[in-house]
Amino acid sequence: MTLVGLSIKNVSRNRLRAVLTVFGVAIALLAFVFIRTTLDAWTGGAEHAAQDRLGTMHKVTFTMDLPRTYFDELDGTRGSVPGVKAATYQSWFGAKHPVREQEFFATIAVDTDTFFQVYEDMEVPAEQLAAWKEDRQGAIIGEALAKQFGWSVGDDVTLVGTIYPGDWKFTIEGIYTAKRRAVDKSQFLFHWKYLNESMKEQAPARAERIGWMTTLIEGSARGAEVAQAIDARFEERDIQTRTMSERALNMEFLGSFGAILTALDVVSGVILVIMMLILGNTIAMSVRERTNEYGVLLALGFRPKHIALFVMGEGIAVGLLGGLVGLALAYPFINGMGRWIEDNMGSFFPYFQIPPHVAITSLALAMLLAGLAAVIPAYRASRLDVIDALRRIG
Amino acid sequence: MSDEDVKAETDSKPDADAETKAKAKAKAEPKPEPEPQAKPDAEAETKPEVKPIKPAIIRCQGIGRTFWRGKERLDVLEDLDLEIAEGSFEALMGPSGSGKTTLLNLIAGLDRPSKGRLDVAGRNIGEMSDAALAKWRSQTIGFVFQHFNLIPVLTALENVQLPLLLTKVPSSERKQRAQTALRVVGLEDRMHHRPQQLSGGQEQRVGIARAIVHDPKIIVADEPTGELDRQSADEVLTLLERLNREFGKTILMVTHDPAAAERATVLRKLDKGRLL
Repeated sequence: MTLVGLSIKNVSRNRLRAVLTVFGVAIALLAFVFIRTTLDAWTGGAEHAAQDRLGTMHKVTFTMDLPRTYFDELDGTRGSVPGVKAATYQSWFGAKHPVREQEFFATIAVDTDTFFQVYEDMEVPAEQLAAWKEDRQGAIIGEALAKQFGWSVGDDVTLVGTIYPGDWKFTIEGIYTAKRRAVDKSQFLFHWKYLNESMKEQAPARAERIGWMTTLIEGSARGAEVAQAIDARFEERDIQTRTMSERALNMEFLGSFGAILTALDVVSGVILVIMMLILGNTIAMSVRERTNEYGVLLALGFRPKHIALFVMGEGIAVGLLGGLVGLALAYPFINGMGRWIEDNMGSFFPYFQIPPHVAITSLALAMLLAGLAAVIPAYRASRLDVIDALRRIG
Repeated sequence: MSDEDVKAETDSKPDADAETKAKAKAKAEPKPEPEPQAKPDAEAETKPEVKPIKPAIIRCQGIGRTFWRGKERLDVLEDLDLEIAEGSFEALMGPSGSGKTTLLNLIAGLDRPSKGRLDVAGRNIGEMSDAALAKWRSQTIGFVFQHFNLIPVLTALENVQLPLLLTKVPSSERKQRAQTALRVVGLEDRMHHRPQQLSGGQEQRVGIARAIVHDPKIIVADEPTGELDRQSADEVLTLLERLNREFGKTILMVTHDPAAAERATVLRKLDKGRLL
């Protein structure tokens, strides 16, 4: 038996209390890990975005559109702007499933000729791609979206427009798969020309407009220089552009959710503080009950520092145990759920797995906070008067 | 005031109480291997000036202990002089509040006198720092408590090892010593039992094993039989006697139990902070 062993054995003194305390810490840690994983997945999706793609949008905000002619000019820069390998354009369509309207997925009108040249990390069987290009109302969807709604090639689908009102009919012509995990596997892609022709009839002012352009740059090219060159093209126009990497673009998009992210951040901290306070109370109660024993130890020659270390050690042991149990629960729970989230909410969370740094930090925080929770009880235990302590009946 | 003085004074009282009579009777009876300080009272009465042959291991010179309860001053011990010879087995009796436990705490180094000088095993208790006193206690004093005070989550063997955790004794030797101590108290077959699996008498014997495992010079026992039935109490007292006789431990025992006091070689009485 050792001093550390004695400290750890004390944890099991009141088994019911110990189990409840450890599970309390574990559940708090599970909640913490879940929130941190969510935050990490949210921002990580942006960080995992392709670095060799640039997005060009309206200088004021990405919600304002650009003239279609800008793409012709940008496409024409191949050769004149060094580093541009391919370019395409898209418009955010924002339609919903007519029945399951709460289930969000991205609907985007794209240029069929160039889209898959730029998005090389999305793969569509050649015959499906050819069929899609031939069918003006054809759509290509992600494999996760197909699974989510049970759609397959050849299905006729009607979506309800929100930005572009009305019922929009499509035929699923292909299903794409992702070459990289960070690719959103639940997009609904269809012909920009279908949208544009409809606009010409219904709202001519909205015709010949695009949401943004995407440029694939050469591997050796420096993104910042290419972005600068693209923006320079439109510098003297009525509508100026802002070009940035897909990652920066995504980060900017995430910025609009800043308050939510901050709130989640705060909540994760609050959970740990509550855990610490509850743990501190439990340890204090346990120390009070053992006053007589500490008196005995002091009488035997143990020093106040030993008593303090026993209490601290006990707190840290509870933190460690709770942390390990919490992680043992978190991995199957969060990662299992994460796979479902990746498949069904891939546009927000392309990656939803517990990052190693979150697991390590959580465990360290559980131990640290449990140690901190034990500081006051440890201090009080170390200040016990040996004679007073011995008088307390154990 | 010497031991014999105490005994002579106590025994000479015409209205001595029952336990004192029992004590006197016990002292009058011949005992195996009698120690000098354990001589019959008749001898103490006839030779009150005889000093212990062995040197005093505990020497109190005019010690007092004062406590404050708010503004109220409580002199629990007053100008107490006492010498206890090395290797003696002494019982300390007295009514509640007489200062027995306070004196025991002082001698055990759990407290310091408010005045006077207290030397125990060659060290002046009043001048030692807290750290030095704790270290000294861990080496010099063995404690036997009324309520046994074993750690419930530890086995008997682990409880007995506790005082050795403060030493540099290797783990294997700690275990060996604890096993030896448990054999001495007759609990070799209960080493891996936890306190709640032991009877009161067995718990107290584990407590005694814990008190001797580090081979202290002095064992202080505060009401060691207070929680025990007669038979268990007798076993514990026999064990203390044996530790005194065979291992030469100096034992100072506070007790209310006349039968327990009878087993000691010297009885001292304390009342209102003064030795009678």
